[in-house]
Amino acid sequence: MDVGFIGLGLMGRPMALNLLKAGHRVQVWSRRRESMQPLLEAGAGDCASAAEVARRAAVTISMVADAPDVEQVTLGPDGVADGAAPGHIHIDMSTIAPAAAQSIAARLSVRGVLALDAPVSGGEPGAIAGTLTIMVGGDADACARVQPLFEAMGKSITRIGEAGAGQVAKACNQIITGVGVAAVAEALNFASKSGVDGAKVREALLGGFAYSRILENHGQRMLERNFRPGFKAWMHQKDVRIVMAEAHRLGVALPTAAATAQLFNGMIGCGMGEDDSVAMLKLLERMSGGVGE
Amino acid sequence: MKIGFIGLGVMGGPMVGHLRAAGHDLAVWARRPESAAALVAEGVLLCATPAELAARSEVVITIVTASADVEALAFGAQGLAEGFAPGAVHVDMSTIAPATARVLAERYAERGIGWVDAPVSGGGQGARDATLAIMAGAEAATLARVRPLLGVLGKRIVHIGPPGAGQVAKACNQMIMVSAIQACAEAFRLAGAHGVDKAAVLRALAGGSAGSRVLEVMGAKMVERDFAAGVEARLHHKDFAILMEEAARLGAPLPVAAQVWQQLDALMGAGWGRDDTASLLRVLEG
Repeated sequence: MDVGFIGLGLMGRPMALNLLKAGHRVQVWSRRRESMQPLLEAGAGDCASAAEVARRAAVTISMVADAPDVEQVTLGPDGVADGAAPGHIHIDMSTIAPAAAQSIAARLSVRGVLALDAPVSGGEPGAIAGTLTIMVGGDADACARVQPLFEAMGKSITRIGEAGAGQVAKACNQIITGVGVAAVAEALNFASKSGVDGAKVREALLGGFAYSRILENHGQRMLERNFRPGFKAWMHQKDVRIVMAEAHRLGVALPTAAATAQLFNGMIGCGMGEDDSVAMLKLLERMSGGVGE
Repeated sequence: MKIGFIGLGVMGGPMVGHLRAAGHDLAVWARRPESAAALVAEGVLLCATPAELAARSEVVITIVTASADVEALAFGAQGLAEGFAPGAVHVDMSTIAPATARVLAERYAERGIGWVDAPVSGGGQGARDATLAIMAGAEAATLARVRPLLGVLGKRIVHIGPPGAGQVAKACNQMIMVSAIQACAEAFRLAGAHGVDKAAVLRALAGGSAGSRVLEVMGAKMVERDFAAGVEARLHHKDFAILMEEAARLGAPLPVAAQVWQQLDALMGAGWGRDDTASLLRVLEG
């Protein structure tokens, strides 16, 4: 399939490489040209704008930071809509607010572009391994047509519903993972302050009812004090902010997510924004009299 | 002084009365002209647009709901900025985001127009009694020019700092006040769960270290189960969205405020947004 890819960061780069590996013809453009280099070396086509990507492909994918970036590359000057032929499909795989996804989809549809929101879970390791979980909102036919692309990047692909529904599922995912990281960090800090070996605690808990992927993967990184991203704390904070704003709009109480959001604020304030979100352990240590043994 | 006024609600209505009583020449603009009918009947000039109001005023005072409302009034089509002569001052007494106040102040400054953010605390009662606490963000010289007007509306006027600083103080005010309302609601929920006389608890606590204005006013409303708005809860809910978003942007953890925000979300979900914030008690009663 002829597919364009916009946004070649920590997640986008391995996702685009997996599309190439699966035999698709990939066109790329990125705001920072140097981020395109690994893809060009792997055989991707070099484009000068998002519009050119759209002209040279039937489907474009964007993987960028936030809603204004998605707006810019799709509807802005020299954006996807400027280059797309009628019937073009745009898949936004960024994490943005459900309402923003709906609004962008509606405006793209006016310009003849079918929009899907397809945010992912699984982080950089999932992106590299091609095992992402993909949550899709938008037209069912369009979703079926791009299934081979999703299969090149992910393992579990679920169409949740109409436009914006993928982002709602992602928001749910962020509630559970955000709170989960905080819970694992609190447990490991508590173990350590109690004079107990956190590694043994993790090992024991993995066999029981507290088992989770977060305890397994994030817990391990906390024990190794490996705070390299991964998923940067400021990105996680951004996602939780989206969730809290939606909950505010809907009149839905999220007390535990709200507490977690404050811990993310604390991380940003302490200059940990560029660390992985597992660095929340360091924040809790500061709130508990320093680093434990 | 020739003063324009926009926002004739629970707060703005009595403020207009005080300014007129002090001898100022007032004109108004209203999104719904019928809301100004009583004033027009008394001979107050009703302008057709904010621009027209600004053109005949030295100072325009606004007190409306949201950041977007103030932006539209100031720089929307036929907004105040189109009418103001250089040297005029826009005094905004609404509760809006500090960032919005800063941007508006900068845009006005480019045109030689002054800006004061002057949000208030004290509610409808404070507006009627002219005892509002006023928190001002402005250049000192600009504030000096409108201070006599603010003195007609409130008792305590504090210059916090440059434009936006008044709104920061107001955010702090909202955080303390609504968190205190939540604490009162929890206290009366606990007293109710034990089946003890809430009115007696209120009387006892008012004299001790837990005594506060919030306990006195909101506690009484909770004891009497009087949930009719004073200040509508939806406005506090709106204020919390602003201050929590700013806290996230600045990397400031506000754990208690975050929980109060969620209780307000639950209050809104229950459909009590137009009732008093004392309804936080009802949220706890499930």
